[in-house]
Amino acid sequence: MRAGHFKQSYLELVALTDSGAVKAWTAMLLVGCMALPWVASSYVLALATTILITAIGVVGLNLLTGVCGLISLGHAGFLAIGAYTAAVLAVDYAVPIIPGIICGGLLAAALSLLVGIPSLRLKGLYLAITTLAFTIIVTHSILNLDWLTRGSAGLSLPAADLLGISLAGKVSFYYFSLAACVLFVAAAMNVMRSRIGRAFVAIRDHDIAAEMMGINLVAYKLMAFALSAFFTGAAGALAAYQVRYINVDSFAVLVSIEALAMIIVGGLGSIAGAILGTIFMSLLPEFTRWLFDALGSGLTETFSTRALEVRGLIYGVVIMTVLRVQPDGLIGLWRDAKRLWSNWPFRY
Amino acid sequence: MNYFFALLGSGLAVGAIYGLVAIGFAIIYRATRVINFALGEMMMLNAYIAHTIGVHTALGFWGLVPVVIVVSVLLGLVIEFVLIRPMIGEPTISIVMMTVGLAVFIRSLVVLVWGAAPLEFSASPGDIVLSLGPVRLYLAQAIAIGLLLAIMAGFAVFYRYTRSGIAMRAAANDETVALLMGIDVRRIYALAWVLAASTAGLAGLLISTIYELGPDMSAFGLRGFPATILGGLDAVGGSAAGGFIIGILENLGEGYVGRGLKEIIGFVIILVVLMIRPFGLFGTRNVERV
Repeated sequence: MRAGHFKQSYLELVALTDSGAVKAWTAMLLVGCMALPWVASSYVLALATTILITAIGVVGLNLLTGVCGLISLGHAGFLAIGAYTAAVLAVDYAVPIIPGIICGGLLAAALSLLVGIPSLRLKGLYLAITTLAFTIIVTHSILNLDWLTRGSAGLSLPAADLLGISLAGKVSFYYFSLAACVLFVAAAMNVMRSRIGRAFVAIRDHDIAAEMMGINLVAYKLMAFALSAFFTGAAGALAAYQVRYINVDSFAVLVSIEALAMIIVGGLGSIAGAILGTIFMSLLPEFTRWLFDALGSGLTETFSTRALEVRGLIYGVVIMTVLRVQPDGLIGLWRDAKRLWSNWPFRY
Repeated sequence: MNYFFALLGSGLAVGAIYGLVAIGFAIIYRATRVINFALGEMMMLNAYIAHTIGVHTALGFWGLVPVVIVVSVLLGLVIEFVLIRPMIGEPTISIVMMTVGLAVFIRSLVVLVWGAAPLEFSASPGDIVLSLGPVRLYLAQAIAIGLLLAIMAGFAVFYRYTRSGIAMRAAANDETVALLMGIDVRRIYALAWVLAASTAGLAGLLISTIYELGPDMSAFGLRGFPATILGGLDAVGGSAAGGFIIGILENLGEGYVGRGLKEIIGFVIILVVLMIRPFGLFGTRNVERV
């Protein structure tokens, strides 16, 4: 019997995957995603598009919080910056969608340095506090910079088109989001297997040891922070194009917490986990509503009038339960199942 | 000049509230090295419970003070026992996320139970206006300031002279050594949560009498952060002083510079403090740099 799974060369170690099964599953998943518009209703398709866009931001947050071990409570701020950058560029300067998304990400990354430089020079929870402060500063600035952001009235975006193809329809925008999501996830996977990603993990696991190994802590922490902000800013820009109307209210602190809930539920530090968590948490409110509808309880009305609070309640309970019961998240469950399967009948 | 003193007066009052919240952050951080992001929500839940009790029993402001303290002690104990104690030894990020989860949970729960509209809070100590020289304050505002000063003094004595206070400092300094010296560290942690919940609970009661009782109240928890960062995350008295400074600066900034400054000035101060003096005005200097 094989005693373990060994990698014998550096190339094997850094390969994205060496397993044929994983490649086959990935291909099947992609084909499934491509085929979705043919089978799904337009509501499901919109939900799927939201999940794809959210996944980009959550994978970005995961690079910072899960991989590098720094908590941010301010990703709603980066989301807002990305969304508003793309919207303002599209409305006032007629910039097309792809440069808009890139600019949104870049501006978010640039502003993240403004917060990151004071807080990342310190150890501990300072980043959580400053990013929280940052979100509040961002939302209030957006409210008060009327001439640029239209204040509380919000901004309506024109429909985007890409190389002459209109992205106004749900199906075409779904494909566009799918492509963006695949691109960003691939980028994140490549960051994780490279020198940079390994440095992030080293910093998370033991910062002093990492510094002894020659990793420049400040530089790499800032890099993680800016990279994460770029992902989230790009996700914000995409979301702005999806909804075609943005308003400060969509970027409350709760959004940051939702994103954190997603990576915790999925499993910190794993890209597959981040995506699983996004899917799980996005479907959870839908699922609970469906469940209560099916049970025919009197709570149906509560769900429609107090949707935001019900979501908050669910998120709070899920965060606390997962931290308490299954700190490794869904991906941890999957790993346990896999280990049990391959080692059976032995314990390990 | 009258305008200035009016701003100063309301600044002092709101600063006192920030100070009370900031003390809550500092007590927990000092004892357990965890930032309790749910403090504002605990404060709000407490105020709502006090409101319900007040409506049913027709207790006045002073009658509600012991009620609030009892409720917060219970709340602090339950939260510490159910959520925080099992997490001792886990990475800080998990414990902090626990408090974040709790914050979301309580906020949603409060809106679901009591509704989103602000409630009428009738228990007030009275509408008497006190004049402290040129500064005029409502009685409730004066009580907030007086309470903060009293609590500051109380904690100074507590940390310096009482058995539990010294034990708490020991546990904060080195958990393992404190344990070996026979200190029940778990009890100390529970005590820290209870004390923090109580100061926050009193702040909640004052906020509902001075301002209003609504779900927005939890924002006071957020706005207590700048005070505790400015005063020093582990300095209890310093956090109170930070509260006064932030409160006054917010009001003067809003009054003289412009709209929208009030909400963000504290957070701008956070960024500046972390850049220049990360341990705050009165904190211990051993903030680790990377």
